[in-house]
Order: sequence, then C-alpha cells, then structure tokens
Amino acid sequence: MKLFVAGLSHKTAPVHLREKFAIAEASLPKALQELQKLGATEAMVLSTCNRVEMAFSVPEPVQPNDIFDGFLRNWQGSANAFEGHLYRLESKEAIHHMFRVAASLDSMVVGEPQILGQLKAAYAVAKSEGTVGGLLETVVTRAFNVAKRVRTETGIGQMAVSVSYAAVELARRIFGSLKGQTVLIIGSGKMGELAAKHLHRSGASKILVTNRTHERAVQMAAVFNGRAVDYTSFTSMLHEVDIVIASSGAQHYILNRDNMQRAIALRRNRPMFLIDIAVPRNIDPAVNDLDGVFLYDVDDLEGVVNANIQERSKQAQAAEAIVLKELDQILTRLKLEEVTPTIVSLQGQLEEIRAAEVAKALRRMPGLTPEQVQAVEALTKSIINKIAHGPISELRRNAGQPDGSQAVELIRKVFHLQA
Amino acid sequence: MGESGILWLRVAAGLYSFGLLDAIITVIRRREALFRVALTAFALGAVFQLVAIVEMGMAQGRLPVNDIFETMSFLGWIVTVVFLAIHYRYNAASLSVFIFPLVFVMTLVGALRNPVSPWSNSVVRSTALAVHVVASLLGYAALLFTASASVVYLMQERQLKRKNKPAPNRPSLFRVLPPLGVLDDLISKSLGIGFLFITVGLVLGIIWAFVETGTKWIGNGSVLIAFVTWAVYLALVFFRVSAGWRGRKTAILSIIALTCCLVTWIAHAQLQRRLLP
Repeated sequence: MKLFVAGLSHKTAPVHLREKFAIAEASLPKALQELQKLGATEAMVLSTCNRVEMAFSVPEPVQPNDIFDGFLRNWQGSANAFEGHLYRLESKEAIHHMFRVAASLDSMVVGEPQILGQLKAAYAVAKSEGTVGGLLETVVTRAFNVAKRVRTETGIGQMAVSVSYAAVELARRIFGSLKGQTVLIIGSGKMGELAAKHLHRSGASKILVTNRTHERAVQMAAVFNGRAVDYTSFTSMLHEVDIVIASSGAQHYILNRDNMQRAIALRRNRPMFLIDIAVPRNIDPAVNDLDGVFLYDVDDLEGVVNANIQERSKQAQAAEAIVLKELDQILTRLKLEEVTPTIVSLQGQLEEIRAAEVAKALRRMPGLTPEQVQAVEALTKSIINKIAHGPISELRRNAGQPDGSQAVELIRKVFHLQA
Repeated sequence: MGESGILWLRVAAGLYSFGLLDAIITVIRRREALFRVALTAFALGAVFQLVAIVEMGMAQGRLPVNDIFETMSFLGWIVTVVFLAIHYRYNAASLSVFIFPLVFVMTLVGALRNPVSPWSNSVVRSTALAVHVVASLLGYAALLFTASASVVYLMQERQLKRKNKPAPNRPSLFRVLPPLGVLDDLISKSLGIGFLFITVGLVLGIIWAFVETGTKWIGNGSVLIAFVTWAVYLALVFFRVSAGWRGRKTAILSIIALTCCLVTWIAHAQLQRRLLP
C-alpha cells in the first residue's frame, strides 16, 4: 500500500488558480467517490482558501499519479490545467507533508489554529463516506496527535500576529480577564471597529462609542449592543473606561496628558489601556509616561506583531524537529505493519510442515518415552526457527525500502505462501 | 487608677475591634461592607473611652497622662474624636482603613496596664504563644507573596511600557509573566490576609507579654520592632486602599515591610527560647 498527496497551496499557486481548483463542501463526497472509482483504496480531500489537496492510498502496482491525472481530467477538464503549480508527494514525503500541514507549519500564518479544524472536518467527511480505514486513516489520526503535541510543546500558536488581535493580547496582559471591562471607541475607523470586535468577543462586555457625527456612534453602538456617548463630553467619563480605542479622523490630539491624569486619579491608579490606531494620531504620546497608562499606537502594535512573528518562526524550528521525530516513529511502525502478514504466514507454513512430519515420524516409533517425544518436538522447532530466521530478518530489513516489495514477493513465492 | 476605668477601656477596645475587621474586609474584598457598623461601634467606643479617662482622672485627681499606657489611651481617644469630626465634615471613609486598626491597638495597649492573674494553666499559656507565633509567621508569609507579586508587577509594567521592544538576550521570560490584573488581585488579597494575621499575632503577643511580664514589655526592643513592622504594614494597607498605590510604590513599601518582618523575626527567634524554657 502506498500513500499519495497531491494538490496546490498558497505557496505554489496564486489565488485565482486556488479558487478554480477549490472543491465546494457539498461536492466533497462526489470527489471522494471519483477518486475511489479511479482506483484509490482510501481518499480524503482538504479544500480551504489557502490549500486544495487530496490524499489517497493505492495498492502497490497502481500508479497514484495516473489516478490524480484522471481526477484532474474528469473534474477540471484537463490534466495539464494546473501543471507547474501542483505538488505530488509519495510515501515518506506525503506523510511528512500531512504532519506539517496539521501542525500549521505549512500555513500562510505559521501556527494559525484553523487548519487543524479544517483537516478534522475533511477527515470527518471521508469517514462518513467510508473512504478511510487503513493506511491513510492511521496517518491522518497520527497527524492530529502531532499537531496537538506541537501546540502544547512549543509556543507556536500563542502569540498574536495581527494588529487587532495583538491589541487583545496586550489587553489580556494588562487586565488578565477581559470580562466586564469597559471599552470606549472614539471615531469609526475600520481597524478600530475590528479591534473592538475582537475585544468584545474576548469578553469586554460594555462598549461605548463616541463620534463627531452622533448618528454614526449610535449605529456602531448598535452593532456591539453598546451605548453612544456625546462627543463633546466623553473626556469627563474617561475614568469609567478601561480600554480606549481611538481611530477618528481628527487632525490633532483629542486626548492629552491632562485628560488622562484626571482620569487615572479618579480611577485610583487602576490601569488603562489606550490603543491609538488613527493616523495622524489621536492621543498625545506623552500620556504613556503616566503611571498606569499604557498607550500603543499603530507602530507599537506592529512592533508587537513583528516580534511575535519572529518568535513564531523560532518556535517553528522546534516544531519541525517534533514533526521529524514523529515521522520516523510512524515509518518504523508502518514498515513493520507492512511485512507482518508475510512473517506470520511464513511461520505458520513452517510450523504446519513440522507438526505433520513429527506426527508421521512418531507413528513409526511408538515406543518413545514422553521425554523422547519432547526432545523430538524441541529439535524440530529449533530447526524451523533457524530456517525462518534468515527470511524474517530479510523481510524486516526490506520493509519500506524502494525495492522491498520485490523481496517480499520473492520470499512469498519461494515458500509458497498464499497471498 | 479606678478598676472600672480599665474595664470601660477594655470595652472600648472591644468596640474598636469592629473597625479593624472592617479595614481587613475592605482590603480583601475592595468594598466597605461593614463600614456603617464599624463607625457606630467606633463612636460608642469613643464614649466608653471618655468615661474611662474621666474615671481614671477622678481617681487620681489629675489628667491621666502619666505613663505610656495612659498617654497611649489618651492619644487614641484624641485620634478617634478627630477622625469622627473629619468624617462628619468631609466624609473621609477611606481614612478609616488606617485609623481603625491604629486606634484599636493604641487602646488595647492602654487597657493592658493593670496586672492580671497569671495563666490559669500552662496549656492556655503555650497555646496562646503558639497561635501568636503561627499567626505572625502566616502574616510574614503573606507579605512575602505581596512583595514578590509587587516586584513581578513592576517587571510586567515596565515591559508593557517599553512596548515589547525585542530584547535579544531574554525575550521569553516576559511572555510568561502573569497579567497585571491578576498580580494586582494577588497583592490585594495577600495584603489583606497578611494584615489580618499579623494583627492577630501582634494583639496576642501584647496580651501574652502583658500577662507574663506585666508592664515590663513596653521597653523591650523586640516588641518595639514588632510595632514598627505592624505600622509599616498598616501604612502599606492604607496607601493601597485610599490612594490606590500600585507598581513601584507598593513594591518599595512592601519590601521595607518585609525587611522589618525579617528583623522582627530575628529578634523574636531568641525571645521564644527565653520565654519557654
């Protein structure tokens, strides 16, 4: 049995090709059936915005490339449509690739957690269609474990790599839980709204919105189940707010040191987190010197993101090492699984011959004492073990090798083993 | 000094203990749940203390400010009256966190002048001493948490202020520091619980020493240092609750308090061996 993975990803193909190749969720069962019709024993299809690939297993003499080409012809109209953008991986490389994909090492944003969920969904479809249940299933379920191990043993998924999520991460470092925190949004910039959405989803329940155009504040407040606040007087209620997101189009500072000093004194030094994603900036940078005030502008947040990306790539190296170790382990296991049936039937065959011959001989020598019978049994067992030793070690040595199947076949022929 | 004068003083100290309880609850739970009850008890205590002072004065035929016990009690009463006046005028509830425990301890010291009968049995004696030591040690342990959390708070705060500029040699340490909010909560709780224990330890210590040695303990250096430690702890609690001290200031003051605790402990490690042969 051989494993094969082929497809295209954000690394090999631009988006217009990926979307052309994409397989809609509703069509996945049909695609799986198509692959099986073409000769695949097992099949699984993963189709996301960054990756469309199929994994399948085939019996030894079948050429997996033919199946894939056949699929391209039937499904996409031509086998050459995506040539130059496709990857085709077999056996060890295929398993390595699947482990890396599951561990989010092949993702556009390394360490992003969605890919594992997508892979699990793809597996669930294949499972319900009955197209997994052998080598492919073993590899996929192992890939889930590898992903889990990578996630727990490295910090690869812990650091925010987008500006709006970095804001949430920082808010968590300041307040711990965001539950019950109050957020004030000044202005109606898109980035500000996105950051507020993330904070809201992370537990910040009370959202206040202020805008020079009051109607827009009311509109945005409705999105968050929040409250619109009068633009001319919002500074007087700053002390009630834990997090401020400023993204207004104002050409000057709308929050200065005096505003913040008053607010922080009224809060009895409870910390405040100010996020200034407006350009030009809305908040005087000098407020960051005040005790308990943490001000981050766009550049600061991007600095955090860049540092996190660097840290992630460092963690990715550790993750790659884990993946390689796991790859070694599964290959050893698969190799043994491959030759185990031959070893078992060889041992069975030899034992059958031995038992028959011993019985025949004992019938001719009825006067043997029980001790003598035991000695004959031991002698013959020892002989067949010695005979079997050579072919069995040869089988184990050849397991998983490129020409391994020929050696297995030869031994099966020599000993007349049933297929 | 009249016997009933001392009795009224002890009643006043009992009433003031409500104030101590209120202060501790305020620090731990961050709300003044018992304040009204404590304030009433405090006003009543002031009346009883005044009665005590008047009775003592009449018995002696002069103002009862002749020794450290009487002056301490008198000063405690003045502080009480001034606090009540300030609260009436300015509604200064946050001051109570500082004033309530202070007045309680001052009045308690004042009430412990007259000799009492020695320990009824040795079990009570050694139990009182053991509880005093354990409560004090628990107080020190809690302060250790307060001080460590304050230092970590300082590190995390600095890191957040520096905006996570990549520090090439030690980048990972700061990723594992707990959030400021969590540290702040830990500081509040450990400070409140520690203050409770150290106050229980101090009060039991005073009573124990009073029963054991009468009035001689007043001049003892190790007792004095215990008072100083408690006062620093009290200041820490006060500034935290009333002014919302966080970060650098809390860290520095808690380290000072911890140093005082260390000195107290060193001084008392000798004392116990001497007291319980």
